Amino acid sequence: MSIRDSLKANVTTAIGSTNFKVSSELPWNSGDQPLNEKNKRVVYFSAEDVTKTQLYRTLDQGDVYSTETVVTAIFSVDAKNLPTDTQTVLDALLAAVDVVDSPQSAEVISEQEIEDDIITYSVEYNFVTI
Amino acid sequence: MSVINVTDGTKARLTLSNVSVDAIPGATNGLEVPLIQDITVTATPGTVRYSTLDSDASSAFTTVNENSVSLNVLVDDAVFFGDGTDADNSVTNEGLFGTSKAKTEVFFTVAFEGTDSGARYLSGKGFIGGLAPTASVDQAVWITPLEIIVNGELTSATVS
Repeated sequence: MSIRDSLKANVTTAIGSTNFKVSSELPWNSGDQPLNEKNKRVVYFSAEDVTKTQLYRTLDQGDVYSTETVVTAIFSVDAKNLPTDTQTVLDALLAAVDVVDSPQSAEVISEQEIEDDIITYSVEYNFVTI
Repeated sequence: MSVINVTDGTKARLTLSNVSVDAIPGATNGLEVPLIQDITVTATPGTVRYSTLDSDASSAFTTVNENSVSLNVLVDDAVFFGDGTDADNSVTNEGLFGTSKAKTEVFFTVAFEGTDSGARYLSGKGFIGGLAPTASVDQAVWITPLEIIVNGELTSATVS
């Protein structure tokens, strides 16, 4: 299962009791409006950005690689009337950083941006696995 | 006259066996140590320095040669602990740790140019020591140094 799918499954379960849902779609633009702004209270997960770096190189070409995977979760809500379970969803997204088995490192960063009356939360996951 | 480029992954090889003929590069029953990061062959004559009153520089004379092979290697579990599969090569059977612990004398070759006919190598016999496997989260894999304390002389040869 890909890291994106693991995150989606984990968060879908974690926010099942809230008024939010997780979409299986990528956060593409509908016209000139991002899908997450068009469909508020829906969490979208980006595609994975993957970087493979040679960690060790040996004389017999027995290389060891580290793989860095970055996935971003994004959702938007009404900034004038913030849904009461917004923090619950944010907490679930932050807790999902544990979903990857045995990473060498795992990091999650949450940011928010307000434009007009919409506040958009983006949560970036960064995993390094061997 | 030319340099020996090791980047294609076939040139620098360490082969071990308790039988000299199986330690030749490319030998069927030889244990070719995988995942070597770096390897050093030290061939040094022992020296004694002395000073005399009629000279403003010290003099030296040689004693016996002191030779060793040292390397750093990513730990392969079958090679380090042994796999018990090779009745002809006790180093494969017992692994690097078992061979070192038993103080078994091993024959070795260090290939400089791979294992094809005409390739040059150094050979000798000695004892495996200096194992110090380490691991950390940042390092991610087990890595160990290894030293072969050479018993006797190193000789150079070519693969036939």
